[in-house]
Amino acid sequence: MADPADTRDAILLAPIERTGRGFYWAVAILSLGVLWGAVAYAVQLDGGLGVTGLHQPVSWGFYVTNFVFFIGISHAGTLISAILRLSRAEWRRPITRMAEVITVMVLFIGAGQILVDLGRPDRVMNVIRHGRYQSPLLWDATSISAYLTASLVYLWLPMIPDIAILRDRLGKRKFFYTVLALGWQGTERQHKVLNRAIAVMAVLVIPIAVSVHTVVSFVFSMTLQPMWHSTIFGPYFVVGAIFSGIAALIVAMLIFRKAYGLQGYLRPIHFRYLGQLLLVMALLWFYFTFTEYLTGYYGGEVEEMKVFWGKFWGPFSLFFWGMVLANFVIPLFCLVRLERRTIGKVLTASLSVIVGMWLERFIIVVPTLSYPRLPFPEGIYWPTWVEWGETAASFALFALFYLLFTKVFPIISIWEIQEGREVGLKEVEERLLTYLPDTVEPEFTPVDRGG
Amino acid sequence: MDRPHPLPDRTVKILQWAMAGGFILFVGAIVTWIIHLIRTAWWLRDVPSASIGISLVAIPVFLVLLGVVLYVFWGLLTDRSER
Repeated sequence: MADPADTRDAILLAPIERTGRGFYWAVAILSLGVLWGAVAYAVQLDGGLGVTGLHQPVSWGFYVTNFVFFIGISHAGTLISAILRLSRAEWRRPITRMAEVITVMVLFIGAGQILVDLGRPDRVMNVIRHGRYQSPLLWDATSISAYLTASLVYLWLPMIPDIAILRDRLGKRKFFYTVLALGWQGTERQHKVLNRAIAVMAVLVIPIAVSVHTVVSFVFSMTLQPMWHSTIFGPYFVVGAIFSGIAALIVAMLIFRKAYGLQGYLRPIHFRYLGQLLLVMALLWFYFTFTEYLTGYYGGEVEEMKVFWGKFWGPFSLFFWGMVLANFVIPLFCLVRLERRTIGKVLTASLSVIVGMWLERFIIVVPTLSYPRLPFPEGIYWPTWVEWGETAASFALFALFYLLFTKVFPIISIWEIQEGREVGLKEVEERLLTYLPDTVEPEFTPVDRGG
Repeated sequence: MDRPHPLPDRTVKILQWAMAGGFILFVGAIVTWIIHLIRTAWWLRDVPSASIGISLVAIPVFLVLLGVVLYVFWGLLTDRSER
């Protein structure tokens, strides 16, 4: 366990110990966004979904777009963190906590979109009482519940040693931290128990995360609607989710790096590695998008082509080409060379990808409903201020939750940073020797304390 | 590195075990819900195979999560008791 006399990482506790004026300003501004959403929701609850732009045939609009988008962002955390932990990537140490927090926060907000989209929230009881497992919607409910539970556990377990540090060092909230720390004293047995549990969770959480976004895609692909009925929707959604998740993680890292002075922990090399990952995901995303659209075009099915041309040259063309620009062209230009101005380029690419991935979700959800296969009249979707309010509030709520989290728990894992200094360097050297040919293999003693 | 920590008072201990109990209740409620859906599908002859198929994946996942959480509670809390 961390030595209480060790003050090298005091800066990581500073946001919890002291509150500056900037924090109150940020909370006030974000609360205004949340308030707008609350007013919009009250209006919707009173007047019904008629106050929104949702109608027949476009019954899914911003809310379902936001749902798919936020669930996608959730892949930032748990999945990326688990992969980095399992591959023992040492540069993960200042990143994993931030990533895991994103997952938990956006899962709550993503699931909340469905409650808003229901119009009458009491109808959620119908799912609980009379749900039918033939419906992919219920598969969604089950898989998201499992993912949220797993992500909460996966966030909490690596926080236990840090909570114990807060319990021992901080004068405030002592009772709260004492309860959550589960009597952590850093004994060998406790380390063994915790590392085993983190290792199991890291393995378990990867298939759960992949399955969640696959199941989200099933909501669309299990129908016979034009440009939804696709076998590659599962992996296409998962790739898009990881893509947007990495972008969200980079933006969060840069904001807290600046706000809390974490330049010593979140260095350009971290952004360079994440930028390279983002570039790979941009190429993968383009590959899946190209394949998806080429297959539809080559088939030339009449109903599919209506949606296809609606996206390419019709009323949705601005969104479609905006998506291509934001998800592929801009990231490619920014990320292909990262030697100079790394952080600025990575930030530009990440912000662009966040916008682009939201547009991608919109482009998947709305055009197909605008040109339905069944003989309904075609229709264009125009969101009202209610949907704009809910969308703004969702982003504000996410930022607010994240900000409040940083006032209660360290946003960078203190014990993992200390462990990196104390045992990580030696362990990496030993591990490296086992990889290389013609070197004397040291008697390997795994100092597996990081999970 | 490791320094002795005074034994927590009774309230802390009760709350910690209550958290574990809460997690058991949560997972229990989800498993009961899934079983309820299977039973309803079975009675209504409403493709029960779909419910059973999903539950074969979902229930073990939740039980593994429960197992991990209880392992951590037991491992950390009993270790403190032994000191």
